[in-house]
Parts: sequence; structure tokens; C-alpha cells
Amino acid sequence: MTYKRKKYHHGDTHLKKRWRVRNRKKDLDEIDEDLKEEKSEKLLNQDVDLDLPGAAQHYCLHCARYFIDDKALQEHFKTKVHKRRLKALELEPYSIEESERAAGLGNFKLPNKRKIVTQNSDVIDKDGEIVLSEDTPTPIKKKKVNNVA
Amino acid sequence: MRIETCYFCSSRIYPGHGIQFVRNDCKIFRFCRSKCHAAFKKKKNPRKTKWTKAFRKTAGKELAIDPSFEFEKRRHAPVKYNRELWTKTIEAMKKVEEIRQRRSNNYIMQRLRKGREVEWQRDVREVQRDISLIRSPAAGLKQRQALEAADMEVEPETIEVVDSKGRKQVIEAPVVVPATAEMLIDGGEVEL
Repeated sequence: MTYKRKKYHHGDTHLKKRWRVRNRKKDLDEIDEDLKEEKSEKLLNQDVDLDLPGAAQHYCLHCARYFIDDKALQEHFKTKVHKRRLKALELEPYSIEESERAAGLGNFKLPNKRKIVTQNSDVIDKDGEIVLSEDTPTPIKKKKVNNVA
Repeated sequence: MRIETCYFCSSRIYPGHGIQFVRNDCKIFRFCRSKCHAAFKKKKNPRKTKWTKAFRKTAGKELAIDPSFEFEKRRHAPVKYNRELWTKTIEAMKKVEEIRQRRSNNYIMQRLRKGREVEWQRDVREVQRDISLIRSPAAGLKQRQALEAADMEVEPETIEVVDSKGRKQVIEAPVVVPATAEMLIDGGEVEL
């Protein structure tokens, strides 16, 4: 086999490594739990842990990822990966109870839709209204937040 | 011994089948076969995977909300054996299952019936649009013109009765409408 042809056949080893249990990332329903206030506060204000990237000071709640500094975190909020994750979290995550309801144990409930906004993206005004900070000046998002308020 | 449900496809898992995954928050995910387990490992969303029960119910393909679903319950406390209760329960289960089966079949048929209606409307629209391919719009034009001419000859006598009002309006309105209606009826009979 020539050298070039060897390079065409990667198989799925690189994918399989990602599916291994030791490389497991948080599931959507776990992240949904994290979004609750007591937990989210704890996660956003973690103690210094030198083993984690950025000593665990810059954490994205929705993507369950650590970043090395604030700049990297702010850049991450602008990426597609992050926006896609926000979108995925909009519907209530699938659960074991839902799988049982789908099987005929009780009535099936349709998942609710919620509004998910990036962490710390809104700053409360003097009047008590929620206004977006300067980092995210998109007009569409502003509307959404106003509706919530 | 329990018959469990698959986390991914919601099918039944009989003892000795499938595989379990216990996440580090103690939640137990049960899978009926490797297909479902692999899909879970790939973080597929069961609501978006077409062959799962969760998809079929969220998409409205199957009966999802019905009182007949409320009979099945998970009971953790064992009931003391009672022969009469046992036989009655078994009979009730059969009855409930029969009713549920009938209702869900009915639901699917209702859903499909809507498609037939849409199909029918589409056919009608197609015929109206493309009728000129089969039958020329000019067919029978001469006869129609001849008929119109004949009507015009007959009518002046009747029109003369209404004289005092604005003539043109009064004359044209009654003359044209019955003539076209008759023509349409004639044309329809010829086609049939």
C-alpha cells in the first residue's frame, strides 16, 4: 500500500475515543440542572483549581467548558458552538421519565420551550429593567430580553 | 421481575436483554439493544430520531394523550396475594389494552384521512387548471354564439316593457346572465 492511500482510511477510531466513558462530557439534562440558580452560582464562582484550564475561573455554563481567560470566554460566546448549544437547551431536555411516558406509562407531555440567554449578558438598570451589556449589542437579542422583563 | 423500558426507543426490555449505563449522578439508563446504546453514546436526540416512540409522539404520529394511558403505573409496594383481585386485574388489563389499541388505530386513520382530502383537492385543482389540454376552450364556440344571437333576437320584445328607467342597464343585466347559465349547463351535459 502506498503511503498516500494509507491516509484515506482513518476509520472511526478518532470518533470512538470521544464516545468512551472516560471522555464523556456533560449531557444536556445535567447542564439543565446546572442552570438552576444555586448550582449556577457555585459553578460561576469556583475556587482556584490549578489543575483546570484558567484555574477554573472562566466557565461557560451552557457548554460546560473552562476557558483560560476572560477574553477567550467572551470570544467563545460569539462562536457557533455556543449559539448552537443555547438553541439545543431551549427545549426541555429528554429524560428517563419522558421515555417511560412515550412507552405508555401515563400521558405524553410535549416539551416546553424556554428562553436561554448567555450567562451575565444582562445588566440591571437603575429603573430595574434588564438591559444588555455592551458586549452583545445585537438588536434582536435585546428584544427578547425585554419580553422576558 | 420487571419489564423495563428502553431509554432511547421506549420499547420493552425483558430480563436478560439489553445493557444498562449508570451515570455518575446515579441515574440508570437502560437500552434494549446495541443500536439504542450506540445512539445514546453518540448523544443522539431521541425526539429527533424518527424510529423512536418519543419522536412519533412529539410529532403527533401516534395517540399521545388519552385516559387509557393512565392505567399503567409503577408500584413499589407489593400487594398481598388475593386470587380474586388477581383474576380481575388480568381481565381489566386485557380490556384496557383492547380499548387503547382501538383508539390508537382510530387516531392514525383519522390522521391519514386528512391526507386523502388534500389529495382530492389537489386533483380538482389540477383538472381545473389543465382541462384545456383535453378539451379546447374554443370547442362549441360557434353554437354558443348562435344561441346568443337567437336569444338577442327574442329579447327586444320583453325589454320594451321597461322603458321609463335607464335603458342600457336594465336591458343588459337580465339578458346576459340567464344566457350564460344555460350555456354552462348545456356544455356540462355534452361532456358527460
